[in-house]
Amino acid sequence: MADVSQLSTSLRRGTLEFCVLAMVETEDRYGNEIVRRLGDEPGLAAGEGTIYPLLSRLRRSGWLQSKWAESPSGPPRRYYGLTPAGRSALEHFRTEWVSFRLTVDRLVGTGEAA
Amino acid sequence: MKTKQTDVVAEYLHEVDQRLAGIPVLQRRELLADLAAHIAAEQAERNLTSEGEVIEVLERLGSPEVVAAAAHEEAGTRFTPPAAPSRKRFWLIAGIVAGVVLVLAFCVGALALAQGSTSAPAVQNPAEPAVAPAVVPS
Repeated sequence: MADVSQLSTSLRRGTLEFCVLAMVETEDRYGNEIVRRLGDEPGLAAGEGTIYPLLSRLRRSGWLQSKWAESPSGPPRRYYGLTPAGRSALEHFRTEWVSFRLTVDRLVGTGEAA
Repeated sequence: MKTKQTDVVAEYLHEVDQRLAGIPVLQRRELLADLAAHIAAEQAERNLTSEGEVIEVLERLGSPEVVAAAAHEEAGTRFTPPAAPSRKRFWLIAGIVAGVVLVLAFCVGALALAQGSTSAPAVQNPAEPAVAPAVVPS
């Protein structure tokens, strides 16, 4: 039981942030949208609230930018968008991820062709 | 009804905040503001009215432990549970109490010893009449 949750934590580390970057690649989204979307995916986030510290780190490291905007139906929303540095980080991840995934698939025997 | 909801939210945020010790103050404030904005937006946009619905929003956010642990991981800090310093204090107090008891026991022992040596000669003197001579009435 402990090993199962340990595994998903390990897999999440280093990949979840790129899922976040990809979510705001084409348009800015506000916190609730990002968090709700990722929370709906099984095994991706331990809780929706754990995404906010991640958003904070990505903003501080210069991959995301944020701005507060008025909402038509509630309190002000904090919108997140990609910075040029975030965009190139995402592109770099895509290349790395594909070759990484192929290698693991080949070694573990999870490839489609295998 | 309204106050009950804000109670639950305030309590949740307080529980998170209590576990954020060690994280730089601005990051701490930012997280609490983000969580508060998240909850308020969910309430307004989905028109949540009952306390049960608000609790559901909080459950989706995750327990205060889980959220705070994620914050510590991202900030590169370590969570020091509030129980740790109090446990340390417990041992400090226990040590002091043990020391005081030891000193007291020593004093009592020394006193008893001193009293024993002064009363000893009295015991060694059996010549003293145990009963006063009875006065015979005439």
